[in-house]
Amino acid sequence: MMDALRYEWVRLRTIRSTYWIIGIALGFQLAMSFLIGALAGDDAGGTDSFAILVTIGASTGFAPLFIAYVIGLMGVFSMGHEYRHGMIRATLTAVPQRWAVLAAKVLLIVAVSAACALACVLIALLSATIFSIELPGWGEVLAISSGTTIFAVLFSLSGLAYATITRNQTAAVALLLLVPTILEGIIKSVILAIHAASDDPTGKGGGVWLIKYLPYDSGGQMYTRRSLEDLLEIFGVVPFGPVGGGLVMGTFVALLLAVGSYLFLRRDA
Amino acid sequence: MALIEARGLGKSYGSKRAVDDLSFTVKPGSVTGFLGPNGSGKSTTMRLMLSLDAGQGTTTFDGRTFGELRHPMRHVGALLEAKPFHPTRRARDHLRMLAAANDVSTQRVDEVIRLVGLESVARGRPRKFSLGMGQRLGIAAALLGDPHTLLLDEPSNGLDPQGITWLRQLLKHLAGEGRSVFVSSHLLQEMAVLADELVVIGRGKLLANGAVADFVTSSGLGTVEVVSPDMATLGPELESRGATLVAGPGDATTVSGLDAAAIGDAAHESGARLHQLTTRQASLEEAFLAATGLDEEFRGGDQS
Repeated sequence: MMDALRYEWVRLRTIRSTYWIIGIALGFQLAMSFLIGALAGDDAGGTDSFAILVTIGASTGFAPLFIAYVIGLMGVFSMGHEYRHGMIRATLTAVPQRWAVLAAKVLLIVAVSAACALACVLIALLSATIFSIELPGWGEVLAISSGTTIFAVLFSLSGLAYATITRNQTAAVALLLLVPTILEGIIKSVILAIHAASDDPTGKGGGVWLIKYLPYDSGGQMYTRRSLEDLLEIFGVVPFGPVGGGLVMGTFVALLLAVGSYLFLRRDA
Repeated sequence: MALIEARGLGKSYGSKRAVDDLSFTVKPGSVTGFLGPNGSGKSTTMRLMLSLDAGQGTTTFDGRTFGELRHPMRHVGALLEAKPFHPTRRARDHLRMLAAANDVSTQRVDEVIRLVGLESVARGRPRKFSLGMGQRLGIAAALLGDPHTLLLDEPSNGLDPQGITWLRQLLKHLAGEGRSVFVSSHLLQEMAVLADELVVIGRGKLLANGAVADFVTSSGLGTVEVVSPDMATLGPELESRGATLVAGPGDATTVSGLDAAAIGDAAHESGARLHQLTTRQASLEEAFLAATGLDEEFRGGDQS
């Protein structure tokens, strides 16, 4: 296992995409959190303001968590490069234990994605300090920070799983971008449209409960505070809280990784 | 030094049997050529040997499978792809990455870079490497762990004549040190010079495994040029013993189906005088084509 970790660590450090991905995530976070901080009113502060600063608006439901999408590319590339550039056979002749190769990729993607997301949180804290935005209590700071970090890590792992399952980097990037933004949006719209046209459009019956099991949408509850999504409650949508939402997303990512592992351990290299 | 033993290797793609119950041995201290027509299953066999493809059978390197080897690159060096590296990772970093998993020092990385002649581009990105430079990097990776066994799939692809000569000398030198060198190539003339032993396959099945000389001799394609002033007597005698005679070159008659000793005996017994008796061995190419002629998967159309 240590051999696989050493291999993966050198692999990550010697590829340019690792640096531009981290650079874009941190650069975006720096620019946007400072812009938001600079433009914030004097009375800005508390949970919602801090959540907006950390997630650059994603906590309101108006925007996706941009840093997760950028960091997620690292997850895709972790396995995608193996197939796109014919590296997989070289990798498996250096480390024949496939489970170790995959486990090393998962562990390092978790570590690097978490470090990058935490750095983005620190940038938000810096912005709050510089622009005198009052922080919520430390419990809430911790909850929003960890929620954002865990979401980014799970998002990145889902990218790794997509690449492992498809063995196609382009397809994996497309899945990572389209499943949370387009596919889940379409499913949600269809369910709500059917529910709205039903005899009981504000009830909790029908298939409306399915919405809270949409994995990325549900995972977003880990960093979402007051959100546009709250409006859906009039249609009977009752989302999970941060823990429940995180568990739904975590289960989904675990299933993706399980499928990816099953295929990776059995397929031809 | 490792004895490679492949036993019952098999692999199917759908209904097509790519490798079928293939067993052979590669001895240490020799270069063993792996020959077969296009699509005969050579690359698939090499991947099966390294457990990269799922299939039947086992391959052991001194009794251990590839997956059982700790730090496998220190035991078995492999070259399977033409350009097995990321285009933007520096060549030296590519080797450092492989070395990191196999407890190989950075000093050894620089050694193999020098050995394959890539010093001037080692810190550059291999995006624009020629096929030959890519092969050299692949060979460097195979040699990285100073392994006792080498599995090389078409290593001379893309190398210029100097590169092919260098590779031949390198592989012969490594075999001379007692290592097992298993190398596939479609360059039969090169293989005739390089290989001591052969594994020949066709349609995924073993056709021959043994010394090159034995393979060529067993093809029965060798001829003997006979010059005799008594050919009118000797000719029918040879034909009665199963030989085939063709006039030429020059005053000679080319005899196939009998070796020089048998022809000498026939001349003696029939009272014919012999002025010249020259054995001409078949080439590896002729023997290979004879062995695989019916097994070639992708045959070109007849030019005539």
